[in-house]
Amino acid sequence: MRGVLRGLIAETSRVAIVDLEAGLEHLSRGTSRHVDTLLVVGEPYFKSLETAHRSFQLARDLGIPRIRMIANKVRTPRDEETVRDFAGRHGLDLAVIVPYDQSVTEADERGTALIEHRPDAPSVTAIRRLADQLLQPAA
Amino acid sequence: MKIAIGGKGGSGKTTIAGTLARVLAARGLRVVALDDDSNPNLALTVGVPPGRAAALPVLPRDMLEERTDGSGQSWLELTIPTDAFIDRYGIAAADNLTLLVMGQPSHGGSG
Repeated sequence: MRGVLRGLIAETSRVAIVDLEAGLEHLSRGTSRHVDTLLVVGEPYFKSLETAHRSFQLARDLGIPRIRMIANKVRTPRDEETVRDFAGRHGLDLAVIVPYDQSVTEADERGTALIEHRPDAPSVTAIRRLADQLLQPAA
Repeated sequence: MKIAIGGKGGSGKTTIAGTLARVLAARGLRVVALDDDSNPNLALTVGVPPGRAAALPVLPRDMLEERTDGSGQSWLELTIPTDAFIDRYGIAAADNLTLLVMGQPSHGGSG
């Protein structure tokens, strides 16, 4: 059944945004053959970045055309440097750095959408920049 | 544009996926957000109250058709157009965004 639903991704005329099952080890041809872009979310510590790196390798093997990284919960310049350094060394295309943002926790606690809770939150602003990039035609 | 967002649990991927969907929808694109994670938080992040975000019901048999290719591989396909299916089973959120919850952990059939 999920296979049928995954087929919708490719066939719908709509833009499709798929929140994948946690853990990219589940990424299989099932979902991946229907998407043109995979965004891998990683946090600025080594184990998370290593996991992101493995996800890139897996996604490349699966033939996903565009694979990009999102660094999330970045708190300090040192965090940012850690992410940029890791991405640079491993050839991971870093799309955007999303800062650590208390608004995310607040929205969650209130049971509200983040974008409604604080449309100008730093994390939302970063995601708007990501949208700008995605809407640009591929170079 | 068909975008999957992955990461470890707790990485914030669902918040990013839902917010990205909302941002794109607010710019006038028709967006479907698909929850492949059986995680009710995607609904929350796109602005659908958790109570309204039930997973898809078991589909009536006549909505599915079995196809077989030359090598004997068979699969199921929808008998109604994809966008009609999404309009019927999706949950409307703000900005012309539609949420589709794919996870059916309790009564899902195979593949």
